[in-house]
Amino acid sequence: MISFILIIVASIFFTGIIIRTKSITSGRKGPGILQPMKDIFRLFKKGAVYSKTTSFIFQIAPSIYFGSVIMAILVIPFGQYKGIISFDGDFVFFAYILGTGKFFSIISALDTGSSFEGMGASREALFSMFAEPAFFILMGSLALLTGHTSFQQIFASLHFGSYISYVLGVLATFVLVMVSLVENSRMPFDDPKTHLELTMVHEVMILDNSGFDLGMILYATNLKFAMYGALIANLFMGSFPLYLTIPIFFGIQVLYAISVGILESFMARFRMNHNAQYILALSSVSLLIFLGVLLVLGQFS
Amino acid sequence: MANVLLIIFTISLLYLGIAHRLLTYIKILAFQGVLLFGIAFIELIQINIANLTFVLLETVVFKAIVIPYFLNYVIKRNRITRDSEPFLPNFISLIIITLIIIATFILSNAIADDRISKIYFVVALSTLFTGLYIIVTRHKIITHVMGYLVIENGVFILSLAVGNEMPMLVNLGIMLDIFASVFLLGIFVNRIGDVLKDVDVDQLKNLKD
Repeated sequence: MISFILIIVASIFFTGIIIRTKSITSGRKGPGILQPMKDIFRLFKKGAVYSKTTSFIFQIAPSIYFGSVIMAILVIPFGQYKGIISFDGDFVFFAYILGTGKFFSIISALDTGSSFEGMGASREALFSMFAEPAFFILMGSLALLTGHTSFQQIFASLHFGSYISYVLGVLATFVLVMVSLVENSRMPFDDPKTHLELTMVHEVMILDNSGFDLGMILYATNLKFAMYGALIANLFMGSFPLYLTIPIFFGIQVLYAISVGILESFMARFRMNHNAQYILALSSVSLLIFLGVLLVLGQFS
Repeated sequence: MANVLLIIFTISLLYLGIAHRLLTYIKILAFQGVLLFGIAFIELIQINIANLTFVLLETVVFKAIVIPYFLNYVIKRNRITRDSEPFLPNFISLIIITLIIIATFILSNAIADDRISKIYFVVALSTLFTGLYIIVTRHKIITHVMGYLVIENGVFILSLAVGNEMPMLVNLGIMLDIFASVFLLGIFVNRIGDVLKDVDVDQLKNLKD
Protein backbone atom coordinates (compact mmCIF):
# COMPACT_ATOMS: atom_id res chain seq x y z
CA MET A 1 0.00 0.00 0.00
CA ILE A 2 2.71 2.43 1.04
CA SER A 3 4.63 1.86 -2.17
CA PHE A 4 1.54 2.63 -4.28
CA ILE A 5 0.94 5.96 -2.53
CA LEU A 6 4.60 6.97 -2.66
CA ILE A 7 4.90 6.11 -6.37
CA ILE A 8 1.84 8.23 -7.14
CA VAL A 9 3.37 11.11 -5.17
CA ALA A 10 6.71 10.71 -6.93
CA SER A 11 5.04 10.57 -10.36
CA ILE A 12 3.57 14.04 -9.78
CA PHE A 13 6.90 15.81 -9.73
CA PHE A 14 9.11 13.38 -11.70
CA THR A 15 8.78 14.77 -15.26
CA GLY A 16 8.81 18.29 -13.85
CA ILE A 17 12.25 17.69 -12.37
CA ILE A 18 13.53 16.30 -15.68
CA ILE A 19 12.27 19.36 -17.57
CA ARG A 20 13.64 21.72 -14.93
CA THR A 21 17.08 20.06 -15.10
CA LYS A 22 17.09 20.37 -18.88
CA SER A 23 16.13 24.05 -18.65
CA ILE A 24 18.82 24.84 -16.09
CA THR A 25 21.56 23.10 -18.07
CA SER A 26 20.57 25.06 -21.18
CA GLY A 27 20.61 28.35 -19.26
CA ARG A 28 16.86 28.94 -18.93
CA LYS A 29 14.74 29.17 -15.82
CA GLY A 30 12.19 26.72 -17.13
CA PRO A 31 8.59 25.95 -16.15
CA GLY A 32 7.55 25.00 -12.64
CA ILE A 33 7.93 21.49 -11.30
CA LEU A 34 4.17 20.87 -11.51
CA GLN A 35 3.71 22.12 -15.09
CA PRO A 36 3.52 18.64 -16.74
CA MET A 37 0.79 17.66 -14.27
CA LYS A 38 -1.11 20.87 -15.04
CA ASP A 39 -0.93 20.03 -18.75
CA ILE A 40 -2.23 16.55 -18.05
CA PHE A 41 -5.14 17.94 -16.01
CA ARG A 42 -5.97 20.31 -18.84
CA LEU A 43 -6.09 17.29 -21.17
CA PHE A 44 -8.25 15.37 -18.69
CA LYS A 45 -10.90 18.08 -18.89
CA LYS A 46 -11.22 17.70 -22.65
CA GLY A 47 -13.14 15.19 -24.69
CA ALA A 48 -11.45 12.90 -27.21
CA VAL A 49 -11.77 13.05 -30.99
CA TYR A 50 -11.70 9.73 -32.86
CA SER A 51 -10.89 9.27 -36.51
CA LYS A 52 -13.54 7.52 -38.61
CA THR A 53 -11.10 4.88 -39.82
CA THR A 54 -10.40 3.60 -36.32
CA SER A 55 -12.26 0.82 -34.59
CA PHE A 56 -13.11 0.28 -30.91
CA ILE A 57 -9.55 -0.90 -30.24
CA PHE A 58 -8.26 2.61 -30.68
CA GLN A 59 -10.75 3.82 -28.07
CA ILE A 60 -10.07 1.21 -25.40
CA ALA A 61 -6.28 0.97 -25.88
CA PRO A 62 -5.25 4.07 -23.86
CA SER A 63 -7.34 2.89 -20.91
CA ILE A 64 -5.79 -0.57 -21.08
CA TYR A 65 -2.31 0.93 -21.32
CA PHE A 66 -2.96 3.11 -18.29
CA GLY A 67 -4.52 0.22 -16.41
CA SER A 68 -1.57 -2.04 -17.15
CA VAL A 69 0.84 0.49 -15.69
CA ILE A 70 -1.32 0.81 -12.57
CA MET A 71 -1.44 -3.00 -12.26
CA ALA A 72 2.33 -3.16 -12.59
CA ILE A 73 2.71 -0.56 -9.83
CA LEU A 74 0.55 -2.68 -7.52
CA VAL A 75 3.20 -5.42 -7.34
CA ILE A 76 6.10 -3.10 -6.50
CA PRO A 77 7.09 -3.57 -2.86
CA PHE A 78 8.56 -0.98 -0.53
CA GLY A 79 11.62 -2.44 1.15
CA GLN A 80 10.25 -5.14 3.44
CA TYR A 81 6.63 -4.02 3.00
CA LYS A 82 4.67 -5.92 0.41
CA GLY A 83 2.99 -4.31 -2.53
CA ILE A 84 -0.80 -4.60 -2.77
CA ILE A 85 -0.43 -7.76 -4.83
CA SER A 86 2.41 -10.10 -3.97
CA PHE A 87 2.94 -13.71 -4.91
CA ASP A 88 5.75 -16.01 -6.03
CA GLY A 89 7.05 -15.09 -9.44
CA ASP A 90 5.37 -11.71 -9.57
CA PHE A 91 8.22 -10.17 -11.52
CA VAL A 92 7.07 -12.24 -14.49
CA PHE A 93 3.58 -10.81 -13.95
CA PHE A 94 5.14 -7.33 -13.74
CA ALA A 95 6.96 -7.69 -17.05
CA TYR A 96 4.03 -9.18 -18.94
CA ILE A 97 1.34 -6.86 -17.64
CA LEU A 98 3.50 -4.04 -18.99
CA GLY A 99 3.84 -6.10 -22.17
CA THR A 100 0.05 -6.32 -22.46
CA GLY A 101 -0.27 -2.56 -22.20
CA LYS A 102 2.45 -2.11 -24.78
CA PHE A 103 0.76 -4.62 -27.10
CA PHE A 104 -2.49 -2.67 -26.97
CA SER A 105 -0.75 0.64 -27.59
CA ILE A 106 0.98 -0.97 -30.60
CA ILE A 107 -2.21 -2.38 -32.14
CA SER A 108 -4.03 0.89 -31.54
CA ALA A 109 -1.25 2.66 -33.44
CA LEU A 110 -1.67 0.15 -36.27
CA ASP A 111 -5.43 0.63 -36.10
CA THR A 112 -5.20 4.25 -37.22
CA GLY A 113 -3.94 3.16 -40.64
CA SER A 114 -1.24 5.83 -40.70
CA SER A 115 2.06 4.61 -42.15
CA PHE A 116 4.07 6.69 -39.69
CA GLU A 117 2.32 5.12 -36.74
CA GLY A 118 2.90 1.61 -38.06
CA MET A 119 6.60 2.41 -38.39
CA GLY A 120 6.78 3.74 -34.85
CA ALA A 121 4.90 0.70 -33.57
CA SER A 122 7.34 -1.64 -35.28
CA ARG A 123 10.30 0.15 -33.73
CA GLU A 124 8.75 0.19 -30.29
CA ALA A 125 8.07 -3.54 -30.52
CA LEU A 126 11.64 -4.25 -31.64
CA PHE A 127 13.27 -2.20 -28.89
CA SER A 128 11.07 -3.65 -26.16
CA MET A 129 11.83 -7.12 -27.44
CA PHE A 130 15.56 -6.52 -27.01
CA ALA A 131 15.12 -4.93 -23.58
CA GLU A 132 13.11 -7.83 -22.21
CA PRO A 133 15.91 -10.44 -21.86
CA ALA A 134 17.98 -7.86 -19.97
CA PHE A 135 15.23 -7.40 -17.39
CA PHE A 136 14.56 -11.12 -17.05
CA ILE A 137 18.19 -12.17 -16.74
CA LEU A 138 18.69 -9.43 -14.14
CA MET A 139 15.65 -10.41 -12.04
CA GLY A 140 16.44 -14.09 -12.52
CA SER A 141 19.96 -13.65 -11.19
CA LEU A 142 18.67 -11.61 -8.23
CA ALA A 143 16.19 -14.41 -7.54
CA LEU A 144 19.03 -16.92 -7.73
CA LEU A 145 21.13 -14.79 -5.37
CA THR A 146 18.43 -14.50 -2.72
CA GLY A 147 16.61 -17.79 -3.25
CA HIS A 148 13.18 -16.14 -3.45
CA THR A 149 10.98 -15.41 -6.44
CA SER A 150 8.70 -12.53 -5.43
CA PHE A 151 9.72 -8.89 -5.59
CA GLN A 152 9.18 -8.28 -1.88
CA GLN A 153 11.19 -11.32 -0.74
CA ILE A 154 13.97 -10.64 -3.22
CA PHE A 155 14.39 -7.03 -2.12
CA ALA A 156 13.93 -7.74 1.58
CA SER A 157 16.61 -10.42 1.63
CA LEU A 158 18.98 -8.68 -0.75
CA HIS A 159 21.90 -7.82 1.45
CA PHE A 160 25.18 -6.58 0.16
CA GLY A 161 27.50 -8.88 2.02
CA SER A 162 30.71 -8.98 0.04
CA TYR A 163 32.28 -6.35 -2.17
CA ILE A 164 31.41 -8.26 -5.33
CA SER A 165 27.70 -7.90 -4.57
CA TYR A 166 28.22 -4.12 -4.54
CA VAL A 167 29.42 -4.42 -8.11
CA LEU A 168 26.35 -6.49 -8.90
CA GLY A 169 24.20 -3.77 -7.31
CA VAL A 170 25.83 -1.05 -9.38
CA LEU A 171 25.48 -3.09 -12.57
CA ALA A 172 21.87 -3.92 -11.73
CA THR A 173 21.14 -0.21 -11.24
CA PHE A 174 22.75 0.57 -14.58
CA VAL A 175 20.72 -2.10 -16.39
CA LEU A 176 17.48 -1.01 -14.70
CA VAL A 177 18.06 2.65 -15.58
CA MET A 178 18.77 1.80 -19.20
CA VAL A 179 15.78 -0.58 -19.43
CA SER A 180 13.57 2.15 -18.01
CA LEU A 181 14.88 4.60 -20.61
CA VAL A 182 14.06 2.09 -23.36
CA GLU A 183 10.60 1.42 -21.93
CA ASN A 184 9.84 5.12 -21.57
CA SER A 185 11.35 5.96 -24.97
CA ARG A 186 13.72 8.56 -23.57
CA MET A 187 16.84 10.18 -24.86
CA PRO A 188 19.64 7.83 -25.85
CA PHE A 189 17.15 5.57 -27.65
CA ASP A 190 14.43 7.99 -28.65
CA ASP A 191 14.10 11.75 -28.56
CA PRO A 192 10.82 12.83 -26.93
CA LYS A 193 11.23 16.37 -28.28
CA THR A 194 11.74 15.50 -31.94
CA HIS A 195 9.42 17.10 -34.49
CA LEU A 196 9.99 14.75 -37.43
CA GLU A 197 7.64 11.79 -37.64
CA LEU A 198 10.24 9.68 -39.44
CA THR A 199 12.59 9.70 -36.45
CA MET A 200 10.03 9.28 -33.69
CA VAL A 201 9.43 6.05 -31.84
CA HIS A 202 6.92 6.51 -29.06
CA GLU A 203 5.59 9.95 -29.96
CA VAL A 204 4.50 8.90 -33.43
CA MET A 205 2.33 6.16 -31.95
CA ILE A 206 0.21 8.64 -30.04
CA LEU A 207 -0.19 11.22 -32.80
CA ASP A 208 -3.87 10.44 -33.25
CA ASN A 209 -4.75 10.33 -29.58
CA SER A 210 -6.28 13.46 -28.18
CA GLY A 211 -7.89 14.88 -25.08
CA PHE A 212 -8.55 12.47 -22.26
CA ASP A 213 -6.79 9.54 -23.95
CA LEU A 214 -3.64 11.56 -24.54
CA GLY A 215 -3.72 12.70 -20.92
CA MET A 216 -3.86 9.09 -19.77
CA ILE A 217 -0.95 8.08 -21.99
CA LEU A 218 1.17 11.01 -20.80
CA TYR A 219 0.39 10.32 -17.16
CA ALA A 220 1.21 6.63 -17.68
CA THR A 221 4.69 7.73 -18.79
CA ASN A 222 5.15 9.65 -15.53
CA LEU A 223 3.93 6.66 -13.57
CA LYS A 224 6.31 4.35 -15.41
CA PHE A 225 9.26 6.57 -14.55
CA ALA A 226 8.30 6.66 -10.87
CA MET A 227 7.75 2.90 -10.97
CA TYR A 228 11.23 2.15 -12.28
CA GLY A 229 12.62 4.68 -9.81
CA ALA A 230 10.91 2.72 -7.05
CA LEU A 231 12.42 -0.53 -8.33
CA ILE A 232 15.89 1.04 -8.29
CA ALA A 233 15.27 2.49 -4.82
CA ASN A 234 14.24 -0.98 -3.62
CA LEU A 235 17.70 -2.29 -4.49
CA PHE A 236 19.17 -0.02 -1.80
CA MET A 237 16.48 -0.10 0.90
CA GLY A 238 17.07 -3.52 2.41
CA SER A 239 15.28 -3.84 5.74
CA PHE A 240 15.83 -0.38 7.15
CA PRO A 241 13.00 1.15 9.26
CA LEU A 242 10.39 3.31 7.59
CA TYR A 243 11.75 6.70 8.66
CA LEU A 244 14.95 5.90 6.77
CA THR A 245 13.45 4.26 3.68
CA ILE A 246 11.07 7.10 2.75
CA PRO A 247 13.92 9.67 2.48
CA ILE A 248 15.98 7.07 0.58
CA PHE A 249 13.04 6.54 -1.79
CA PHE A 250 12.57 10.22 -2.56
CA GLY A 251 16.30 10.86 -2.69
CA ILE A 252 16.76 8.15 -5.31
CA GLN A 253 13.73 9.33 -7.30
CA VAL A 254 15.08 12.90 -7.43
CA LEU A 255 18.60 11.68 -8.25
CA TYR A 256 17.21 9.47 -11.01
CA ALA A 257 15.15 12.33 -12.47
CA ILE A 258 18.14 14.69 -12.40
CA SER A 259 20.41 12.12 -14.02
CA VAL A 260 17.85 11.51 -16.78
CA GLY A 261 17.67 15.29 -17.32
CA ILE A 262 21.45 15.60 -17.48
CA LEU A 263 21.67 12.61 -19.83
CA GLU A 264 19.11 14.22 -22.13
CA SER A 265 20.89 17.57 -22.09
CA PHE A 266 24.39 16.38 -22.89
CA MET A 267 23.92 13.29 -25.02
CA ALA A 268 22.89 12.90 -28.62
CA ARG A 269 20.48 10.13 -29.44
CA PHE A 270 21.84 6.93 -30.91
CA ARG A 271 21.45 6.33 -34.59
CA MET A 272 18.23 4.46 -35.20
CA ASN A 273 19.85 1.48 -36.91
CA HIS A 274 22.40 1.16 -34.10
CA ASN A 275 19.81 1.18 -31.33
CA ALA A 276 19.23 -2.57 -31.39
CA GLN A 277 22.86 -3.41 -30.68
CA TYR A 278 23.10 -0.95 -27.80
CA ILE A 279 19.97 -2.41 -26.25
CA LEU A 280 21.26 -5.94 -26.75
CA ALA A 281 24.47 -4.90 -24.96
CA LEU A 282 22.29 -4.50 -21.86
CA SER A 283 21.41 -8.18 -22.08
CA SER A 284 25.10 -9.02 -22.27
CA VAL A 285 25.80 -6.91 -19.19
CA SER A 286 23.00 -8.62 -17.28
CA LEU A 287 24.44 -11.94 -18.39
CA LEU A 288 27.66 -10.83 -16.70
CA ILE A 289 25.60 -10.15 -13.57
CA PHE A 290 24.28 -13.69 -13.84
CA LEU A 291 27.82 -15.09 -14.10
CA GLY A 292 28.81 -12.88 -11.12
CA VAL A 293 25.93 -14.32 -9.10
CA LEU A 294 27.11 -17.82 -9.92
CA LEU A 295 30.53 -16.73 -8.67
CA VAL A 296 29.10 -15.39 -5.40
CA LEU A 297 27.04 -18.51 -4.81
CA GLY A 298 30.06 -20.74 -5.37
CA GLN A 299 28.35 -22.64 -8.16
CA PHE A 300 31.39 -21.62 -10.08
CA SER A 301 34.04 -22.71 -7.58
CA MET B 1 38.71 -6.00 -5.74
CA ALA B 2 40.60 -7.71 -8.54
CA ASN B 3 37.38 -9.54 -9.47
CA VAL B 4 35.61 -6.20 -9.85
CA LEU B 5 38.29 -4.97 -12.23
CA LEU B 6 38.08 -8.22 -14.17
CA ILE B 7 34.31 -7.80 -14.59
CA ILE B 8 34.84 -4.24 -15.83
CA PHE B 9 37.49 -5.61 -18.19
CA THR B 10 34.94 -8.07 -19.61
CA ILE B 11 32.43 -5.25 -20.12
CA SER B 12 35.11 -3.33 -22.00
CA LEU B 13 35.35 -6.33 -24.35
CA LEU B 14 31.62 -6.06 -25.06
CA TYR B 15 32.07 -2.36 -25.76
CA LEU B 16 34.90 -3.22 -28.12
CA GLY B 17 32.42 -5.32 -30.06
CA ILE B 18 30.02 -2.44 -30.71
CA ALA B 19 32.52 0.42 -31.13
CA HIS B 20 32.45 2.19 -34.48
CA ARG B 21 35.44 4.49 -34.50
CA LEU B 22 39.13 3.75 -34.30
CA LEU B 23 39.46 6.43 -31.63
CA THR B 24 37.05 4.47 -29.44
CA TYR B 25 39.17 1.36 -29.91
CA ILE B 26 42.24 3.29 -28.79
CA LYS B 27 40.44 4.64 -25.74
CA ILE B 28 39.27 1.15 -24.80
CA LEU B 29 42.83 -0.18 -25.14
CA ALA B 30 44.14 2.60 -22.89
CA PHE B 31 41.39 1.89 -20.37
CA GLN B 32 42.25 -1.81 -20.43
CA GLY B 33 45.84 -0.84 -19.69
CA VAL B 34 44.71 1.07 -16.60
CA LEU B 35 42.57 -1.88 -15.50
CA LEU B 36 45.52 -4.25 -15.95
CA PHE B 37 47.60 -1.88 -13.83
CA GLY B 38 45.04 -2.19 -11.04
CA ILE B 39 44.81 -5.97 -11.33
CA ALA B 40 48.59 -6.40 -11.40
CA PHE B 41 48.99 -4.09 -8.41
CA ILE B 42 46.51 -6.08 -6.33
CA GLU B 43 47.72 -9.52 -7.40
CA LEU B 44 51.47 -9.00 -7.28
CA ILE B 45 51.81 -6.83 -4.19
CA GLN B 46 53.88 -9.53 -2.46
CA ILE B 47 56.62 -9.94 -5.04
CA ASN B 48 59.88 -8.05 -4.82
CA ILE B 49 59.79 -4.35 -5.40
CA ALA B 50 61.90 -4.21 -8.55
CA ASN B 51 59.78 -6.75 -10.37
CA LEU B 52 56.57 -5.05 -9.23
CA THR B 53 57.77 -1.67 -10.43
CA PHE B 54 58.65 -3.19 -13.77
CA VAL B 55 55.22 -4.77 -14.20
CA LEU B 56 53.41 -1.62 -13.13
CA LEU B 57 55.53 0.53 -15.43
CA GLU B 58 54.88 -1.83 -18.29
CA THR B 59 51.11 -1.68 -17.80
CA VAL B 60 50.62 1.97 -17.04
CA VAL B 61 53.28 3.50 -19.25
CA PHE B 62 53.20 1.21 -22.26
CA LYS B 63 49.70 -0.23 -22.33
CA ALA B 64 47.88 2.88 -21.16
CA ILE B 65 49.94 5.79 -22.55
CA VAL B 66 52.62 5.06 -25.14
CA ILE B 67 50.83 2.54 -27.35
CA PRO B 68 47.51 4.42 -27.57
CA TYR B 69 49.41 7.60 -28.32
CA PHE B 70 51.46 5.86 -31.00
CA LEU B 71 48.40 4.26 -32.60
CA ASN B 72 46.72 7.63 -32.65
CA TYR B 73 49.81 9.10 -34.31
CA VAL B 74 49.83 6.38 -36.96
CA ILE B 75 46.14 6.95 -37.73
CA LYS B 76 46.59 10.71 -37.98
CA ARG B 77 49.73 10.51 -40.06
CA ASN B 78 48.40 8.01 -42.59
CA ARG B 79 44.99 9.68 -42.76
CA ILE B 80 43.32 6.35 -42.09
CA THR B 81 39.54 6.69 -42.17
CA ARG B 82 38.12 6.82 -38.70
CA ASP B 83 35.56 4.09 -39.16
CA SER B 84 36.44 0.54 -38.12
CA GLU B 85 34.78 -1.06 -41.19
CA PRO B 86 33.92 -4.53 -39.92
CA PHE B 87 32.97 -7.35 -42.29
CA LEU B 88 30.03 -8.29 -40.04
CA PRO B 89 27.51 -5.91 -38.48
CA ASN B 90 28.32 -4.89 -34.93
CA PHE B 91 25.09 -6.45 -33.77
CA ILE B 92 26.40 -9.90 -34.72
CA SER B 93 29.80 -9.07 -33.19
CA LEU B 94 28.10 -8.37 -29.89
CA ILE B 95 26.23 -11.66 -29.96
CA ILE B 96 29.38 -13.57 -30.88
CA ILE B 97 31.45 -11.95 -28.12
CA THR B 98 28.71 -12.76 -25.61
CA LEU B 99 28.71 -16.35 -26.86
CA ILE B 100 32.50 -16.43 -26.50
CA ILE B 101 32.21 -15.37 -22.86
CA ILE B 102 29.54 -17.98 -22.14
CA ALA B 103 31.53 -20.69 -23.94
CA THR B 104 34.71 -19.96 -21.99
CA PHE B 105 32.68 -19.93 -18.78
CA ILE B 106 31.27 -23.37 -19.53
CA LEU B 107 34.67 -24.62 -20.68
CA SER B 108 36.40 -23.54 -17.48
CA ASN B 109 33.64 -25.13 -15.43
CA ALA B 110 34.16 -28.33 -17.34
CA ILE B 111 37.89 -28.32 -16.69
CA ALA B 112 37.35 -28.03 -12.90
CA ASP B 113 41.01 -27.98 -11.93
CA ASP B 114 41.96 -26.59 -8.54
CA ARG B 115 45.25 -25.18 -9.72
CA ILE B 116 43.78 -22.59 -12.05
CA SER B 117 41.96 -19.50 -10.81
CA LYS B 118 38.64 -19.72 -12.64
CA ILE B 119 37.69 -16.07 -13.05
CA TYR B 120 41.14 -15.19 -14.38
CA PHE B 121 40.97 -18.13 -16.73
CA VAL B 122 37.55 -17.11 -18.08
CA VAL B 123 38.48 -13.48 -18.59
CA ALA B 124 41.86 -14.30 -20.14
CA LEU B 125 40.46 -16.87 -22.53
CA SER B 126 37.52 -14.72 -23.61
CA THR B 127 39.91 -11.80 -24.15
CA LEU B 128 42.10 -14.01 -26.32
CA PHE B 129 39.19 -15.18 -28.45
CA THR B 130 37.73 -11.68 -28.70
CA GLY B 131 41.08 -10.44 -29.96
CA LEU B 132 41.16 -13.20 -32.54
CA TYR B 133 37.61 -12.41 -33.56
CA ILE B 134 38.46 -8.73 -34.00
CA ILE B 135 41.46 -9.61 -36.16
CA VAL B 136 39.35 -11.88 -38.32
CA THR B 137 36.42 -9.55 -38.88
CA ARG B 138 38.01 -6.14 -39.47
CA HIS B 139 39.28 -4.72 -42.72
CA LYS B 140 42.22 -2.59 -41.77
CA ILE B 141 45.74 -3.44 -40.74
CA ILE B 142 45.53 -0.97 -37.87
CA THR B 143 42.57 -2.86 -36.38
CA HIS B 144 44.55 -6.09 -36.75
CA VAL B 145 47.25 -4.53 -34.58
CA MET B 146 44.60 -3.55 -32.07
CA GLY B 147 43.20 -7.08 -32.02
CA TYR B 148 46.73 -8.33 -31.45
CA LEU B 149 47.08 -5.96 -28.49
CA VAL B 150 43.83 -7.31 -27.06
CA ILE B 151 45.27 -10.81 -27.33
CA GLU B 152 48.38 -9.56 -25.50
CA ASN B 153 46.15 -8.26 -22.71
CA GLY B 154 44.59 -11.70 -22.48
CA VAL B 155 48.00 -13.34 -22.20
CA PHE B 156 48.92 -10.83 -19.52
CA ILE B 157 45.83 -11.71 -17.47
CA LEU B 158 46.57 -15.41 -17.89
CA SER B 159 50.10 -14.87 -16.57
CA LEU B 160 48.69 -12.88 -13.64
CA ALA B 161 46.58 -15.89 -12.74
CA VAL B 162 49.79 -17.75 -11.98
CA GLY B 163 50.26 -15.05 -9.36
CA ASN B 164 53.41 -14.54 -7.43
CA GLU B 165 55.38 -17.15 -9.33
CA MET B 166 55.14 -15.13 -12.51
CA PRO B 167 58.63 -15.29 -13.94
CA MET B 168 60.41 -12.25 -15.23
CA LEU B 169 60.72 -13.97 -18.59
CA VAL B 170 56.98 -13.89 -19.24
CA ASN B 171 57.08 -10.17 -18.61
CA LEU B 172 59.93 -9.58 -20.96
CA GLY B 173 58.27 -11.74 -23.58
CA ILE B 174 55.05 -9.77 -23.40
CA MET B 175 56.82 -6.47 -23.61
CA LEU B 176 58.97 -7.55 -26.53
CA ASP B 177 55.91 -8.83 -28.31
CA ILE B 178 54.19 -5.51 -27.92
CA PHE B 179 57.25 -3.63 -29.06
CA ALA B 180 57.71 -5.83 -32.07
CA SER B 181 54.09 -5.82 -33.14
CA VAL B 182 53.32 -2.17 -32.73
CA PHE B 183 56.56 -0.73 -33.97
CA LEU B 184 57.08 -3.10 -36.87
CA LEU B 185 53.48 -2.92 -37.97
CA GLY B 186 53.51 0.83 -37.40
CA ILE B 187 56.41 1.17 -39.79
CA PHE B 188 54.80 -1.32 -42.12
CA VAL B 189 51.59 0.67 -42.11
CA ASN B 190 53.58 3.85 -42.63
CA ARG B 191 55.17 2.42 -45.76
CA ILE B 192 51.90 1.23 -47.17
CA GLY B 193 50.24 4.47 -46.25
CA ASP B 194 52.93 6.41 -48.08
CA VAL B 195 53.14 4.25 -51.17
CA LEU B 196 49.63 3.03 -51.83
CA LYS B 197 47.79 5.82 -50.02
CA ASP B 198 45.46 3.17 -48.64
CA VAL B 199 45.81 0.54 -45.95
CA ASP B 200 43.01 -1.83 -46.80
CA VAL B 201 44.03 -5.50 -46.51
CA ASP B 202 41.93 -6.35 -49.54
CA GLN B 203 44.43 -4.53 -51.73
CA LEU B 204 47.15 -7.01 -50.78
CA LYS B 205 45.26 -9.54 -52.90
CA ASN B 206 46.21 -7.61 -56.02
CA LEU B 207 49.94 -8.07 -55.38
CA LYS B 208 51.52 -10.33 -57.99
CA ASP B 209 55.09 -11.22 -58.81
